[in-house]
Amino acid sequence: MPVISPTVRLAGLLLLLLLAFLLDISVGSVKIPLGDVFHILFSSSSKDDTWKFIVEKIRFPKACTAVLAGCGLSVSGLQMQTLFRNPLADPSVLGITAGASLGVAMVMLAGGSIATLFAIRELGLSGSVLITVAACLGAGLIMVMVLLLSGRLRDNVLMLIIGIMIGSITTSIISIWQYFSAPEEIKDYLLWLFGSLGGVTNGQLLILGSVTILGLIMAWLSSKMLDALLLGENYARSMGLNPQRARLIIICSSSLLAGSITAFCGPIGFVGIAVPHITRQLFRTSSHRILVPACCLIGTLLLLLCDVLSQLPGNQTALPINIITALTGAPVVIALLLRQKNINAY
Amino acid sequence: MYKNSSLRFLFPLAVILLISSCGQSGQNKSAVAGSDSSNFSSAKAIIKYAKGFRIDYYDHYKIVSLLNRVGDKTDTLHYLLLPEGGTPPPDHPGLPVITIPVKSLVVMSSSHVGLAEFVGVADRIIGLGSMKYINSPAVRQRIKTGAVKEVGLDNDVNTELLVAMHPGAFLTMSNPDAAGVGKNKTLAEAGVPLLPVSEWLETTPLGRAEWVKLIAALVNREDIVNAKFDSVEQEYKKLAAIGAASATHPSVIIGMPYKGSWFMPAGESYMVQLLNDAGAGYHWKDTKGTGSLSMNFETVAPVALKADYWLNIGTVDSKKEIAGRDARFTQFAPFVKGTIYNNTRRTNDIGSNDYWESGTANPQLILADLIRIMHPDLLPKDSLYYYKQLK
Repeated sequence: MPVISPTVRLAGLLLLLLLAFLLDISVGSVKIPLGDVFHILFSSSSKDDTWKFIVEKIRFPKACTAVLAGCGLSVSGLQMQTLFRNPLADPSVLGITAGASLGVAMVMLAGGSIATLFAIRELGLSGSVLITVAACLGAGLIMVMVLLLSGRLRDNVLMLIIGIMIGSITTSIISIWQYFSAPEEIKDYLLWLFGSLGGVTNGQLLILGSVTILGLIMAWLSSKMLDALLLGENYARSMGLNPQRARLIIICSSSLLAGSITAFCGPIGFVGIAVPHITRQLFRTSSHRILVPACCLIGTLLLLLCDVLSQLPGNQTALPINIITALTGAPVVIALLLRQKNINAY
Repeated sequence: MYKNSSLRFLFPLAVILLISSCGQSGQNKSAVAGSDSSNFSSAKAIIKYAKGFRIDYYDHYKIVSLLNRVGDKTDTLHYLLLPEGGTPPPDHPGLPVITIPVKSLVVMSSSHVGLAEFVGVADRIIGLGSMKYINSPAVRQRIKTGAVKEVGLDNDVNTELLVAMHPGAFLTMSNPDAAGVGKNKTLAEAGVPLLPVSEWLETTPLGRAEWVKLIAALVNREDIVNAKFDSVEQEYKKLAAIGAASATHPSVIIGMPYKGSWFMPAGESYMVQLLNDAGAGYHWKDTKGTGSLSMNFETVAPVALKADYWLNIGTVDSKKEIAGRDARFTQFAPFVKGTIYNNTRRTNDIGSNDYWESGTANPQLILADLIRIMHPDLLPKDSLYYYKQLK
């Protein structure tokens, strides 16, 4: 195989990503001619107001959300896998996703209780905003707990186990809550659990965008630390790196990414664990300077294509994105891993 | 991890899907004219609309047959309604017996309460699946005085409590095909006279309402209930004729999407039947299925943007709340025109909506509301019963 430089590969991926983005905006249940789609995108005018609404208010925000979620979840997964030197790690292992779920459950399942209704009316918050705030708080709470514990523990495997334990506790609390909740409230919550890219609109997109970009910048800046950690903590220390602080920065960045995306889109599974593997296979490098942007591109590409699949023309139903990501992504990961047969990166 | 928690919710569904048929083979019936006895109603219930049950009248007993809902609508379950002190007939061995007239009821759903209220036996309710969803003032009064106990819903039913209560009949919500599994089986074996009242599976408003006749058969009130139901039926038909004659068919959207999924009633569902009878134009009225269609936002948007009315919008109570759910809703025509109506006018202080309680037995009131909303020229709009305009 001819050696293609990573830069060229990244550029190629970027091109593919642009195409996927346009494809995602052009296809959907309602047939809109390609020319009109471009017209709406670039001049914001259309002969048909319905088309304009669909492209501007439904498809464009959804594609943007796919980009943000794809970047955020896969980079967060990459960081977790490197930090814990465990190929199975992903944002949910630290219980961060479960924390966000707890926040959402608190709002949704207590929806009938007077306290919540009162809060909603008094604060002028309703529905999605409150849920998002709660999810961020939930994720943040677990993150702070994990950070406090990580200060006491020097071992990453212990950290991993504790993360899983915290996740289990959180999930149990949610289950208890569900057990005592009304069916229609549980239904809303279950729909949220399926994950969705379609519920993020204008203002929320801005918030999600800023938080994700902040997390990505932190991830990019921490890529040297990730490289060093990959070689073991002693080596990292010999390079003049403070592993404790590196861990703090990485967990912070990962939590920001996973927490905010879970808050807005629901727990989208699979991307966080699969994309880093695909990326390492395609780029055959362990340098995070390359892996971080490559993960962004591949994660985005995967989510965009999955979204296209879930919106195929003539298909009126919206398949939850979680179903599609795992159905299409898992075979790819298996195929790639079969070629390699073992994982050397750890 | 967190996905496991959904199992609790999905399990009953899985049970319903997995069990295709269970129960006894059908038995031949030789209906004999009913006789007058002190414990027996002289009137007989004739079922015209409901597809889920049948009542056969014999000399001194009645047999209720529940029909399975999958495929060929054959009998799945039979219950022997036997007057107090009567001897079970030899030609129907092994049937579960319910002693009539039933003096105490444990009911699971709010529509059961509505049905009992219609028959006039709401005061015989001694147990409820959940106390949270009650509207009937009579039943709420009985809850206050401690005359009604909470027995738990679905798989959370408190078996011991239920057995100890010795109810005259225990009305469950379960699909008749799943009536003999899990806790229901345990309860039946413990001698609790369990009867699945699955009015929610009916696909027509009158079919749903007609389940009052099943309750009537349990308490020997066929004569009164037949008359009451007849007037409901006449009223409904009269209104449907008005709706059918309407010159316009305003377009309607139902419900609200969540996370990109919009559940719209399917063409053969009872909601669409109501809309048709009210002279509404419903974009998906020719779709198949009796449940709901799961659609994405984009599919509904072209219809929603230009719809005339937006109905049954869920738990929201004002336009402000709707806008808070998703700012895109503010561009829908019904939002701009202020033609959003929700079926929550009769929601009480504990958040329970009478639409789901008395509405089951009174479809004519729902239909009248819908006509009043969409055709104010045919019926005056000012006196809505279940619906209210969101502002």
